[in-house]
Amino acid sequence: MNAALEGKAYPPVRFRVDEDHVARFAAAVGDDGSSVPPTFVTVPEIAAGLVRAIADTELGLDFARVVHGEQEYEWSRPVRAGETLEVRATIESIRAKGGHEFLTLRTRMLDEDGEEVVSARSSLVVRGSG
Amino acid sequence: MKAYADASGDQNPLHQDDAFARVVGFPGIVAHGMFTMAHLASCVVAWLGDPAALKRLRVQFRAPVYMGETIVAGGTVRSLDAETRRAVLDVWVRLERDGAAEYPIRRGEAEVQLA
Repeated sequence: MNAALEGKAYPPVRFRVDEDHVARFAAAVGDDGSSVPPTFVTVPEIAAGLVRAIADTELGLDFARVVHGEQEYEWSRPVRAGETLEVRATIESIRAKGGHEFLTLRTRMLDEDGEEVVSARSSLVVRGSG
Repeated sequence: MKAYADASGDQNPLHQDDAFARVVGFPGIVAHGMFTMAHLASCVVAWLGDPAALKRLRVQFRAPVYMGETIVAGGTVRSLDAETRRAVLDVWVRLERDGAAEYPIRRGEAEVQLA
């Protein structure tokens, strides 16, 4: 990966929390669907960050070698069905260690009033070929 | 896994394609780490009885979960601030493989607001 891209911000994504989408996600994770599952925020996080990183030819992320290393979410409040979030992803760090590479993406999700709803940090491991 | 891939947008073939998973060194399809974390988060919320009470959750994915395995989530209260009713939990996800316990998530941390 191109370590010079540390700090790169991807263009914000507007993401509507669709009720049917929430229901499909809840069913997929075995949740009863009585509220929005806490980790539904993975969906906008992937749309704004991971999808962009995979498509980023400057970055050179080999998704075929990626496994998920660490994940953190901090919720100011639960996400609500029907609301629209502005999702801002940045490359927090790119590191190499022990034959593997590590990409950490930081994602902030703001509501329509500009208040932060969720902050996410996702660390991906790009497994070395050796 | 297909339903989770479609709902989440994570279409990594590691989670859907057995032949691909074997080529990259696993014995078969690996569950999404986020699927395991989703289960853990739902368990914490069910215990709290309030989705708004889960404030922070941090995990490391330590071992893969394969198709057909059963995961169990749990945790203990590490600390509690009696005044604010904020608690920090040690949380984990465990499974049995070949008669031994494996921890896909061993030392997760959750911060919660108790009622």
